[in-house]
Amino acid sequence: MIHFDSVGKRYATGVEALQGVNVRIEPGEFVFLVGPTGSGKTTFLRLIQRIEQPTTGRVMVDGIDVGALPPAQVPYLRRRLGAVFQDFKLLPDRTVAENVAFALRVTGVDDLEVAPRVAWALDTVGLAGRAGDLPGRLSGGEQQRVGIARAIVTRPRVVLADEPTGNLDPEAAWEIMHLLAKINLRGTTMVVTTHNATLVDVLRRRVVELCAGRVVRDESRGLYQTA
Amino acid sequence: MSPGVSTRPRRDPELSAEPVRARRAALVRPVVADAVGGLRRNGLMVAAAITTIAIALTVAGAGWLTSANVAHVAAILEGQVEVVGFLRRDLGAAQQQRLRGSVEGLSGVRSAEIVTRAEALRRLQRTFRSMASINELLPSNPLPDSIEVRVADAREVKAVAEALRRLPGVDEVAYGGTVVERLVAFTRAVRLGGVAVAGLLAAAALLIIVNTIRLTIAARRQEIEIMTLVGATRGFVRGPFVVEGVLQGGTAALIASVLLATGYIVLARQAATALPFLPLLSPAEVLPTTLVVVWVLGLTVGIAGSEIGLRRHLQS
Repeated sequence: MIHFDSVGKRYATGVEALQGVNVRIEPGEFVFLVGPTGSGKTTFLRLIQRIEQPTTGRVMVDGIDVGALPPAQVPYLRRRLGAVFQDFKLLPDRTVAENVAFALRVTGVDDLEVAPRVAWALDTVGLAGRAGDLPGRLSGGEQQRVGIARAIVTRPRVVLADEPTGNLDPEAAWEIMHLLAKINLRGTTMVVTTHNATLVDVLRRRVVELCAGRVVRDESRGLYQTA
Repeated sequence: MSPGVSTRPRRDPELSAEPVRARRAALVRPVVADAVGGLRRNGLMVAAAITTIAIALTVAGAGWLTSANVAHVAAILEGQVEVVGFLRRDLGAAQQQRLRGSVEGLSGVRSAEIVTRAEALRRLQRTFRSMASINELLPSNPLPDSIEVRVADAREVKAVAEALRRLPGVDEVAYGGTVVERLVAFTRAVRLGGVAVAGLLAAAALLIIVNTIRLTIAARRQEIEIMTLVGATRGFVRGPFVVEGVLQGGTAALIASVLLATGYIVLARQAATALPFLPLLSPAEVLPTTLVVVWVLGLTVGIAGSEIGLRRHLQS
């Protein structure tokens, strides 16, 4: 599904964000990406989305060398990837339903399909009753659930979540992680960066730890920190 | 059902009798709808942008009108420049006509006319009423016959005067000398100045418009960022913004057209009565081209502004 083959990324500023990273993520896996701030977690996700290109090595998604993809093909790669952000990235002047529908409409999905798919996504995240509300009227946890609905409404095979619980209180964080685990159970590959040790320790999923751009640990049912 | 999402059933293009047209319509409709939606959501920003663009276009259009009128007045002044050759007294009428033929053959000459001494005296009397009884004071008409030459281009007046002076039968030549040369230099400077002013105003309008549209796009960078992250193609992101640019530029051009047309019509009417010696171009002569310029500028800059504004947001 996702394969990092000796990947290195050096930014123009000279920062080595990743060095010699080898990670293989199989379809349907749930992977926690942990490590201190600046360890390369976000760069890892941005390389999969082709927001960045590797300096060395190859990033493969579904057998495609993402770094070598012509720019015109990048949008089609991104349609296979759902993205969830720490700051939700919702459009404040559009309703919950419009925010979710946005991902379908800008990828040219037929109007006839939009309404049922939005309804399905909102139902999945438990917000069917809030479709007409503006994001400003929702709590942080609810806003993140809208973000997740938008990420899954295109039925991607992979969801990349960058610190999805970073801005949430513990209870809301737990709900969000539970929701991501539920979506994963339906077969969607999940890559989640987090600093939330409790969630990682309770869920006991695969943990890939990065430190200064290198993979220092890769455990199948890992904890946030080595015991 | 979710209120934000259209649930109106639509005919499936595949099943339509005219699948190609329906498909095209299905592609065009969302782009225009998105553009209109975008304009509505950013109402205040868009209103400010349209006002700014309309003002810039009006100023550029006014520059164009001024420049056209200045060129017009200069052309009229230059058209009045003429060279007069005073003829020798012993030249007969037939010789005078031959001379007129050869003068008309000179390069730079538009027309030539023989003015008899009798006609010259009548003109003098008409011009200076106090000399109406000059016939009675003089034993005979002291004025010589002359040839009046109009030049095709005021800048050639000196050369024509030289050529005329060399012709046999011509005694003396007058053409206003330095006055005409100064007039030519002045009208040339005014013409160039007019073009420069119009050009500068157009360039300023262009900068203002591009910048204004860039601001409206910058205000929506998050929308663009999300679009690109969820997999919208560049064309899809660009479409509504370019249509918005066209709508903004078009609306501003419409406002500027109304302002310029009414303003010029009123001004021309007032000038005709208050300043009859100032020969302004009639609205019918100058407004069509001016409005075409305003519309082309408005639409081009609307599209260019959107493209330039989007470029930096579409890089990743």
